[in-house]
Order: sequence, then structure tokens, then C-alpha cells
Amino acid sequence: MTTKDIGPKNPVQKGADATIDFVDERSGVKTGTRWFLFRNIPEGTSWFQTLGFTAMVVFGMQAITGIILAMYYVPDTQGGAYKSIEYITNEVTWGWLVRGMHKWGASVMIIVVFLHMARVFIWGAYKYPRELTWVTGAMLLLLTMFMGLTGYLLVWDQKAYWATVVAVNIFASAPILGPYIGDILRAGPEFGPATLSRFYSIHMLVIPGAIATFIGLHLYFIVRLGISEPPWSKRRLRIERDEEDARRAAAREKAKALPGSVNYPASWPVEAEEATR
Amino acid sequence: MKPADKKAYDKDYAQAKKTGKPFFPYAIYKDTIIAGLTVIATIILAITVRAEVGEPVNPATTDFVPRPEWYFYFAFELLKIFKNQDALTPVIMATFMVPNIMIILLVVWPFIDRGPERRIWKRPFALGMTVIVTGLLCYLTWMGANSPAGVASQGLPLSGLDEQATKGMDVYMANGCGSCHMVAGVGAPGPGPDLTNEGAKGWDNAKMIAWFKAPKAPMPSYASLPPEDLENLATFVNGLGTKYK
Repeated sequence: MTTKDIGPKNPVQKGADATIDFVDERSGVKTGTRWFLFRNIPEGTSWFQTLGFTAMVVFGMQAITGIILAMYYVPDTQGGAYKSIEYITNEVTWGWLVRGMHKWGASVMIIVVFLHMARVFIWGAYKYPRELTWVTGAMLLLLTMFMGLTGYLLVWDQKAYWATVVAVNIFASAPILGPYIGDILRAGPEFGPATLSRFYSIHMLVIPGAIATFIGLHLYFIVRLGISEPPWSKRRLRIERDEEDARRAAAREKAKALPGSVNYPASWPVEAEEATR
Repeated sequence: MKPADKKAYDKDYAQAKKTGKPFFPYAIYKDTIIAGLTVIATIILAITVRAEVGEPVNPATTDFVPRPEWYFYFAFELLKIFKNQDALTPVIMATFMVPNIMIILLVVWPFIDRGPERRIWKRPFALGMTVIVTGLLCYLTWMGANSPAGVASQGLPLSGLDEQATKGMDVYMANGCGSCHMVAGVGAPGPGPDLTNEGAKGWDNAKMIAWFKAPKAPMPSYASLPPEDLENLATFVNGLGTKYK
């Protein structure tokens, strides 16, 4: 698009433009933004297609509240972990709210991710060409579940401790690899201080990193392949109706052309079919 | 999908995109509204239902109720269904087979269902799967939410208990065994098997104590109990259904 120069610009705007141009020249950020934000999507996308974005926002909320919690949390089995949770809940300004949001955010995220998956499944949106988008999404679901499992222990109260002991036992009981997985999760043969540090690290660093990576891949696939169209969008229904009409017209022609068939008046089948529609 | 179907889909989707609208702002405004409402709902939940702090961990006391978060209730209930060591309902079904089969199916599903049809009412198998899996998950979660948390404190309705067995029953009660096992109709119906007739197995105390110390998952180890308690508990459990009814 060409614009007419209508005179000297505000120097601030000039500076801003120059900066953006400088960055764009080297990074292609303008093209990227256009590719991401101003790509066309099919008309009539549904409200159900907002769940993926919502899951991402909830993940962002979990990241932010999680970072705040990490500022106070101490992964110490000698009472430090439990005391730091008490401290966050009772002493820190808004601490109870941040912890509550993080705790409830986990449940909300599981629900949103599940609904998102159900929407994709029911719409057949995982079919060609979006198979890999589904696979990365399935990974994200599993990672979200693991997030819930590892975060549970960090509170270090009786309920969390014993539920996690049982869960790790279950992992460790798997054939062949089970004992190794158990040792890796527990950081040894017994549940102890090293286990808490390990769960802390897995919960804060390993899984969030993996989730961020898979969200990146997931988004790349979505933008590259485009968001799926509802299988019953107005446009699809119109096409299906046209196809049906064409099929019927062809059938009528065929019936007419058959030797020995009754010659119906031209208007008859159309009217009959209009009535049944 | 056959190459022709792929081509047809690509052509159709290109058409949809051409007659479509830009992502910004036509889709993002809906996204923002729903995501915003979800975050607000979370904040309201956090304010109204406060996150509490339970009892601090004490690995020495095994008096506990191993209940997971609600989103793992389905797995927990699965443990109750496959709680026996027999061939029909082995524990490994719940701890390994069923979860892993579900995970593999989940990941590879697009490579199993490759037909071009996307309308759900023309995909009866997929529709059936949706209903069955969602229904089962909801049912198991509901069951988990309503499962009894512990065992009645008044004791077990057993007779014929000698001194050692009474001590063993006290150990049984004090360590929350009843939150996973049932004896004579008292206790939780799982994840552990019903112990009413456990004595019929004919195990000796040494074997039973070895089991307490290193049991099969999901049962946790009770190696931290004093040897005396373990001995009494083993006597008690080994007599269930035979000496103590």
C-alpha cells in the first residue's frame, strides 16, 4: 500500500517507525505478525473453537501464579515445605489468592483441555491434514495430567504424600521399565528429601518446558494448516445441498433417458422433492 | 484418506479460507471473551473455596487415606475394579494395561480413523466412542467422589479373636488398612482386595510380613512398622475367615 507523504511526521512516531523498520529488516517480525494475526480463517468458526486459546491462557495463568509461589516455596522435607505453604496461605499478601488460583487453575485446565479435545474429536478436526496437531495436543493432555500429579506432592501434607506414594508405586509396578521409572521419580528406592526436590524440579522446569515446546509446535501446526471449519458451517451445508440437488437432477435425467419409462411432466419430481425437503 | 479425498479437502478448505475472515479480530475476540470468563471463574473459585493446608507429612504414621485429586479418581476407581490377584481382574489391568492402551489409542487415533467424513452423525463408531469414554470417565469420577474415605472406628464385627489377633486388629485399624480393604463388610471396597477370607490362603506369618514390607503396587510398603506390630498384624490377617470370623 502506498501512502502520500503529507508533511513532516511527529519525531516520536518517526523514531518508532524507524525502530520497527530496523527490527523488521533483520527479523521479519512484520511478516510474522501478519502471518499469525491477519491470516484468513473460515467464516462461521464456532464458540467451541475458543477452548484451545483458553487452555493456553490458563496455562499462562498457572505459569504466573506458579512463579509467584516459587518465590516463597521451600522444597524441604524437614517441615520447610509445609511451613512455606502455610506462610504463603496465611502471611503473604494475596498469597492465599495466588495459591487458590494455582490450585483451582489445575482443575480448570484439565477441564478445558478435555473439552477442547472432545470438540476436536467430535468435529473430526484431527483428520487430514491435522493429524500431527492432534498428536501434539495429546502430548499436551498427558503433560497436563503429569503437572497435576507432580504438583500435588509439593504441598507436603499427609493426603498429598500418601496419594503420591501410591501413584509412584503404580508407575514402579510396570513391567520391565517400571522399577527404573520408580527410581527416577523417587530419586532412589525410598521416598525422601530427594524425592521432593525432584518433583519440584519436574513440576517447575521439566514439564513446563515440555508444555511450552508442545504449545509452540501445536500453534505452528494450527497457523500453518489453518483452523478447521465446522463440518456443518453454512458454507458446507450450502455445498452439500448443491451436491444433493445435482445428484437428484442427474438421477432424474437418467430416469427420463431410460427407454420405456414413463415421461413425467418436467415439473413433477421437482415439486415432489421440494415438498419433502 | 485417498489422494483424491485429500485433494478435494485441500480445495474445499482453500475455498473456505478465501471466503473467510481474518483471525484478528474475528476469532480472537471470541477467544478473549471465553478465556477471560474462565480466568474470572478460577478467581471466584479461589476466593470462595479457599485452598487449605492439611496435616503435615509424617511418613512414620501410616494412618492415611490415599485419595488422589479428583481428576485422577477414574484411575483410582479402575484400581477398585481390578483389585484382585486372579486371572480375570488382575491389578496389572488397572496399573498398566488399561491406562497404556488408552494413552496409545489417544495418540495414534488420527492414524486409525482416516476416513474423509467429518460430520459426527455419519461417524457412528466415533460417536459411540465419545459417549462411552466420556460416560465412563464421568461415572468413575463420580464413584471416586462418593467413595468412603475411611473405616468405622468402632472395630470389626469379628469373633474368636485371641490376644494377639486383637492387637493385630488394632494395628489394622490404626494404620488405615480399612480405607483400602474390607473385612466382614466393614471398610472401603477397594482399591485393595476384600480380606474377609484372607486366612484361607494359608500363608505363614513370615510370608505375610514380607508382603507388608514389599507389597505389590498400588499398596504402599509398611516396612516402617515395628516388628512386633507386623507380627500381630500378620497373625490377625492370616486368621481372617478361618479362626476369626
